[in-house]
Amino acid sequence: MKKFVVVRLINIVITLFIIATATFFLMKMLPGSPFDEEKLSSLSDEARLEFLAKYGLDQPVGVQYVKYMGNLAKGDLGISYYFKGQEVTTLITDRIGPSALIGTQAVVLGLSIGLLLGIVAAFRHNSGWDYATMIIAVLGVSIPNFVLAALLQYYVGLKWGLLPVAFWDSYSSSIMPTLALSLTVVAMVARFMRNEMLEVLQQDYIITARSKGLGQLTVIIKHAIRNALIPVVTILGPIAVSLLTGSLVIENIFGVPGIGSLFVDSIKVSDYTIIMGLTLFYSAFFILTMLVVDLLYGIMDPRIRINGVKE
Amino acid sequence: MSDSKKLENDDFPDKLFQVVGRKQSESELISRPSISALKDSWIRLRKNKAAILSLVILVLIMLIAIIAPFLSGYTYYDTDYDKTFQKPSAEHWLGTDKFGRDQWTRVWEGTRISLFIAFLAAFLDLAIGVGYGSISALYGGKVDNIMQRFIEILVGIPNLIVVILLIMIMKPGILTITIAMVLTGWVTMARLVRAQIFKYKNQEFILASKSLGASNKRLIMSHMIPNTLGIIIINMMFTIPAAIFTEAFLSFIGLGLQEPLASLGVLINDGFQAMRNHFYLLLYPALIIIALMVCFNSLADGLRDAFDPRMRK
Amino acid sequence: MKKKLGLVSAIVLMLSLLLSACGFSNSKTDEKEAPEGVEKTESQETKKEKVVNLSLANDIPDLNQVLTTDGISFTVLNNVMEGLYRLDENNEPQPAMAESVDISEDKLTYTFHLRDGIKWSNGDPVTAEDFKYSWLRAMHADTSGAYADILYNYIAGGEEFFEGEADASAVAIDAKDEKTLEVKIKSPSPFFLGLTAFATYFPLNEKFITEIGDDKFALKADAILYNGPYVMTEYNQAQGVSLEKNPEYWDKENVDVDKVSLKVIKEQSTALNLYEAGELDRVYLASSDVDSYRDSAEFGTETEFISWFLQFNHNTAPFDNLNIRKAFQLAFDPQILTKTILNNGSEPAYGLVAAGVHGDDGKTFREVNGDLIQPDYDKAKEFLAKGIAEIGKLPSIEILTADDTIAKDTATFLQSEFKKNIGVDVQISTKPYSGRLDAMRASEFQMGISKWGADYNDAMDILSLWIGDPPKGLRGNYSSEEYKQYINDAGDEKDVAKRLQMLMDAEKLMIQEDGALGPLYFEGKAFLQKSNLKNFVTHPYGASIDLKFLTLE
Repeated sequence: MKKFVVVRLINIVITLFIIATATFFLMKMLPGSPFDEEKLSSLSDEARLEFLAKYGLDQPVGVQYVKYMGNLAKGDLGISYYFKGQEVTTLITDRIGPSALIGTQAVVLGLSIGLLLGIVAAFRHNSGWDYATMIIAVLGVSIPNFVLAALLQYYVGLKWGLLPVAFWDSYSSSIMPTLALSLTVVAMVARFMRNEMLEVLQQDYIITARSKGLGQLTVIIKHAIRNALIPVVTILGPIAVSLLTGSLVIENIFGVPGIGSLFVDSIKVSDYTIIMGLTLFYSAFFILTMLVVDLLYGIMDPRIRINGVKE
Repeated sequence: MSDSKKLENDDFPDKLFQVVGRKQSESELISRPSISALKDSWIRLRKNKAAILSLVILVLIMLIAIIAPFLSGYTYYDTDYDKTFQKPSAEHWLGTDKFGRDQWTRVWEGTRISLFIAFLAAFLDLAIGVGYGSISALYGGKVDNIMQRFIEILVGIPNLIVVILLIMIMKPGILTITIAMVLTGWVTMARLVRAQIFKYKNQEFILASKSLGASNKRLIMSHMIPNTLGIIIINMMFTIPAAIFTEAFLSFIGLGLQEPLASLGVLINDGFQAMRNHFYLLLYPALIIIALMVCFNSLADGLRDAFDPRMRK
Repeated sequence: MKKKLGLVSAIVLMLSLLLSACGFSNSKTDEKEAPEGVEKTESQETKKEKVVNLSLANDIPDLNQVLTTDGISFTVLNNVMEGLYRLDENNEPQPAMAESVDISEDKLTYTFHLRDGIKWSNGDPVTAEDFKYSWLRAMHADTSGAYADILYNYIAGGEEFFEGEADASAVAIDAKDEKTLEVKIKSPSPFFLGLTAFATYFPLNEKFITEIGDDKFALKADAILYNGPYVMTEYNQAQGVSLEKNPEYWDKENVDVDKVSLKVIKEQSTALNLYEAGELDRVYLASSDVDSYRDSAEFGTETEFISWFLQFNHNTAPFDNLNIRKAFQLAFDPQILTKTILNNGSEPAYGLVAAGVHGDDGKTFREVNGDLIQPDYDKAKEFLAKGIAEIGKLPSIEILTADDTIAKDTATFLQSEFKKNIGVDVQISTKPYSGRLDAMRASEFQMGISKWGADYNDAMDILSLWIGDPPKGLRGNYSSEEYKQYINDAGDEKDVAKRLQMLMDAEKLMIQEDGALGPLYFEGKAFLQKSNLKNFVTHPYGASIDLKFLTLE
């Protein structure tokens, strides 16, 4: 187990290094510079280059790369070009809070409702419950979440005045973004859980348990759900990562000062240090989550025992 | 038992009876016609009403997408500045947009382009993914190890960054969007195929075939591929709606196609901006994208059940 | 069971941590919190706080006045800071930090006399030295930003100082005493007073910056000293700013509003919903929403000093041919574009210098120079035929545009007009914002949709873009000795009327004779504004919203 984790961690560092390198050179192919090019273009070409030289952006990409990686090794992500003077680390930590809040809530909410729906649907297979769940599940992955968000904002926020239309003023501001994000989670989890439950319910040990005379409820709770839950962990990892790290569209619609919009904006304005910082942050977060999922999987499913890496 | 005894006592001649159970001579007979796995799946799929309905709707949508632009008499790019933002009417069945372009024609043109992008992306995923996955699995050992490391790196890169960077760097258009999506999209397919082939590689029926002298080619063509086909088709069915959605998202954040081309994503984006006062501009493309998503997903669900032999009853 | 409890409590703990870390702005302050006793002089009825809620269309990138380049930052700064002059509702510079100015006979020396009782928000007086310090800082190569040229192009000795060829003593800024600032400029510039209202010309307090530290300056609300009508109490780049009336401001009697919040809302439809819910007092409309509100009493439009034009590349076929350029110049009707497609108060352009830019006293430049061009499809076809006869065959043509909605819509419009009016098929090439600029800088385009927003209220601002030597790709490689002569002469001319005539001739030459570009429109904005807001001043360039004059009923 320990060896497994250590090897995986080394792999992660190597992977991150390769990702950082690839992103750096790809990013340098972006047109323009992180500055107000409209303004810079009114200067003479000479003055423009002089201006870029002040930020070391006139050097060959290779030199810039070595410099950046050197700073990165020291744990320095640099300073934003667009938000002049702001440290990348501060910017990311400032913005991650709101995104993580609505993301976590959406995962928790989506997971609870999704699991409940999935279990009931499987238990009452081919009943009205089942069909209703399947309809929700299919619609949930079919409706673009910004359409849902816009409708929520217009009706719940403006017409009925139940929740704040937008802004990030108080806790109630986070409810509608959470709802808009959680629909997909509900749908995915419900569908997955239902299928897993159906499979588990056909297993011999369930029949054994039933024939032992255990009540239906006991069987479902003690045996079926427990075993059906295990595979859900695998889909939860990627879902959690994508939600916790922010959704651009939902954040823009509800005026949430989150990380999703920083992400796209930084690419649009070629804010190099932010692009790099965010890529590394995302990748590290994603890979670590995957590691945790694998470990959890091993803990939850006694059939899987990790004894170092197979070679 | 006492009842039957009574009956026996009664006077019934043997000729009044005939054997209703299995006859000895028939017990070894194959009662059902011999069918291939694909055909068998098709039979099972046919019984799934939702899947069949989805299939019918999908075919219908595709047909209309091809025919519809000719029905209205307008093109998707013709502008008419006297007739902007018209509500649906006999003249313009789904109204007009801000350039006075016929929305009916644009919606179906957009459907066609979105489907084209989705199918192209799914096909490329398939080609790369199956190739990569099967090479990785069949060679195994070091080759597999290296190829898997590469996949791990690729998965670790936030694909949104790659997609946006690529679109910003390359000339925007159908091909760029497709390539950007395929660049990271094929990984799932490769992993699935690899796992599947690994699973079958050491199974008894392959071993049997091998010992009967089957060549590698025969092993791959008549055993590996038919057995992985199910999972490939299912994954493709999930890839297509995902690609439609990704395209819509990219258009929504302004990284879509060149005007005057339209995809469903572009139309939804335009409609979204005008939804407050011209809701119909958002409604129809949104309905079609939802219909496509629902149908592809139900069909994929149906196919998964159909390909799963355990579902046979 | 214990495990589950642990899990639940872990989740609860995480959530509560998140809640504390996610920074809700909560700017709706209770009335009790308002400082009491400060404004006791006000009458009893107006005791209730006057609060205005506005929105910003994007994040606030940078409030360091020396470095910043974008309109949103300028807008925020202009309300919390003040230069020697401030633009009034007619965009005319009015004395602000300065009480008066003496301009020498040769129009080259400006002696500003600062007002009595002007103070920074920490109570220190604003002195002539503060201006000198700030201006030198804005021109020094190490500390300056992209707008350094808006100072060194005018202030004598500035360019040499910026280039590092001379030290600060060579720059003709002289703080004679606490209250007197003398500046010498290079050439007579009738718009110089207007420039002193620009953010880069605002004063800075050296002592304060040294205390805060160069690298921390302007990163937080308390890392800036204010001398404008408002002070900033909260600053978050992603959420916006909160402003409060500045008790130290010299003209505080004329500032009516107590609190202003400017919040970042990127989605236009969201802003409209907020306006309807009463959470915003003013909102800009998307063009598709304009028709539904056009008749509302709250509806209005404003036009900015932003000229959009179709830049032809004089070095690339077919636009190296004069007749082809003229054909394309005449082949579209900008009125259709502004009326039906943009539909937001934009004005069709029949010349390059934006409507409203200062011309002769009382009259705008556009009014005195008139319409230089009118769409004429028959003439366009004639020119096209002539041009084709000269060059043989029309190559395939591409129109380059940025990827924002307005630029894309404009390209789509032009494409359809060229097809309809002169029968030429044009492809559209969309590039991201800097991609378009890069392509144009490298001369890799045939025609491109361009825009220019003025930095000061004079035709010179935009007209001087085409005198680059060597000619710039971004300006279509247009190069005319005659044109350069006009612009350079106008720069040296002391007589206002003669200067204006030269600029007018230059514009005519460029558009009518050389067909250098096709004017499209002057950008406008349509808005809704609550009826209790009065004297809401917006400027067509630089900092757009000026809240000093705003009153609330």
